[in-house]
Amino acid sequence: MKVLIVEDDRSLSRSINDYLKMEGHICEVALTFNGALEKTSVNKYDCIILDIGLPDGNGLDLIRKMKSNRLTGGILVLSAKSSLDDKLNGFKIGADDYLTKPFHFAELSARINSIYRRNNFLGMNEITFNEIKINTEDNQVYVKDRLLTLTKKEFDLLLFFVANRNRIVTKESIVEHLWGDNVILTDSFDFVYTHVKNLRKKIVAAEGRNYIKCIYGFGYQFTDN
Amino acid sequence: MIAGGAFLYLSIKKVIYKQIDNSLITEKTIIEDQIKQTDTIPDFEAAFGHQIEVKLLNYSVRNFQSIKDTNIYDQKTDSFIPFRYIYYSGNTHQKKGFIITILQLTSEKNELLQDVSLYMFFLFFSLLLISILINYLIARKLWRPFYNSVKIAGRFDIQSDKPLELPETDIIEFNQLNEVFDNMTRKMRNDYLNLKEFSENASHEIQTPLAIIRSKTELLMQQKKLNKESLSLIKSINEAVSRLFKLNQGLLLISKIENQVFHEIKLVSLKKITVQGLENYKEIMQLKNIKVEIDASDEALVEMNEVLADVLISNLLSNAVRFNIDGGFIRCNIDNKYLTIANSGLPLSFNPEDLFRRFHKNSTNPQSVGLGLSIVKKIADSYGMLITYTCHDATHELKLQYRLKVNKEQSFR
Repeated sequence: MKVLIVEDDRSLSRSINDYLKMEGHICEVALTFNGALEKTSVNKYDCIILDIGLPDGNGLDLIRKMKSNRLTGGILVLSAKSSLDDKLNGFKIGADDYLTKPFHFAELSARINSIYRRNNFLGMNEITFNEIKINTEDNQVYVKDRLLTLTKKEFDLLLFFVANRNRIVTKESIVEHLWGDNVILTDSFDFVYTHVKNLRKKIVAAEGRNYIKCIYGFGYQFTDN
Repeated sequence: MIAGGAFLYLSIKKVIYKQIDNSLITEKTIIEDQIKQTDTIPDFEAAFGHQIEVKLLNYSVRNFQSIKDTNIYDQKTDSFIPFRYIYYSGNTHQKKGFIITILQLTSEKNELLQDVSLYMFFLFFSLLLISILINYLIARKLWRPFYNSVKIAGRFDIQSDKPLELPETDIIEFNQLNEVFDNMTRKMRNDYLNLKEFSENASHEIQTPLAIIRSKTELLMQQKKLNKESLSLIKSINEAVSRLFKLNQGLLLISKIENQVFHEIKLVSLKKITVQGLENYKEIMQLKNIKVEIDASDEALVEMNEVLADVLISNLLSNAVRFNIDGGFIRCNIDNKYLTIANSGLPLSFNPEDLFRRFHKNSTNPQSVGLGLSIVKKIADSYGMLITYTCHDATHELKLQYRLKVNKEQSFR
């Protein structure tokens, strides 16, 4: 998919650019409000990653302008401030999602994918990974066309893995994705292991391959090679 | 005053006695003169209260005079009556002795003395009262601006958004004092605001570099052909960044609570939040084999910000889970006054009073940031709730005391 990254910090925008390119997305970077305005008026993007605090303007105004120009494409708001007001205002104006800095790339990737799915209705609510088929509309998973019974957390975990396929996903990012900010002050993420183990067991029991690779002390990698 | 009273009493007494004595001496002198002239006991008529005795002797006596107090028994009233008397012995020209004794009743003089004393006492006493009253009234009027200032200064809160405003007075000294007070508090407030602004800005500015570090390490870790050593280095960097991030978030949260960013207040059920919170920690508790008991006799509806209520309960539960032991327990008790969370654990390695202080952490758990409970305290304080900690037999108990929001419709019924 085509992504526009609007972020004034060069280093950070480059990192995002690099990561999303690895995922196979086509990326462009705008460092300023005006640059972003220019780019959005010329090109069409599937998703825009937008930092609110830009040197020459407020990101929220950019959303307003884009919406008034009837530009489609999902918008993911990035902000250094985890303030609720920014979040609510962003949603009110028409942002699709909100992420606070610093974020995990795995989380960013999952969010972008979900925005993309939501904005593109034509058969996009089915994700296929080899023999695994995930329907994001009715939250069901099939392995070799056989229905898999997963808990809510296991389903979310699988979706997270697939969105970040072939990437190393840290335990921490999994915890933050599945439990949100509620467990932010917890220091041990070992409990993730139980969920990963159960998910793996269920897929293997349904004659699927074991794609979940444990990466030394760190996290996991969902990969088929 | 008492010394003055005593002195006055004694002086008056002395004057009266002197007067009595003088009259006694005068009388004696008259009688003596008569005796000396006539050699006979003169005719005299004793005045009231006087008793005169004159004796003529056939021999000469020593010249002697003494004035004394005495009590004489009176048969009629069966009591002793005080007298002042003069005893005088002298000789006539013919060298014949005579003795004059004159008694003067002093009781009436004493009564006079008493009356005078009493009036004096009343006079003095009322003078005293009046002077105290006048003093008090003047002082009150004079010091009123001072007490006003003290009252206002006492209510001064560095965190409030209003500067200290002391009223103008007519008294120069107090105006000077107020000015000093004003300047001092203005400076204090400015310093405080600067400091607050600085820590807020610092926290915000730290977010972006942190995001960059995290993004770079995450890119780094996706690289192929990483060996175990490099992965372990990246892991350490990642952990440190996460800790810094959590710390920063905690500090930001505290400064936001102080700035009252969370002003949207709503009726929240602490019971519901606790049950949800426990659900969030289910997996961790299972891993640690922690048994959970919850006994909620009340919904515990309180008026507060929903996000903060969440953070409050979440931090309390996180604390109970994190410092628990394997196979331990957590007991939640919610009624219409208290929310109590008790958990098993190791004994506290530091002073319980330091528990709610920032960055005070248990040395046995270096991973903890040390902000959780100070955030809890901050939230509790900002809603007038009371949080207390007790510990017995390695069971730690945190108790939150709150005031329920009384439903008006229910109370009318």
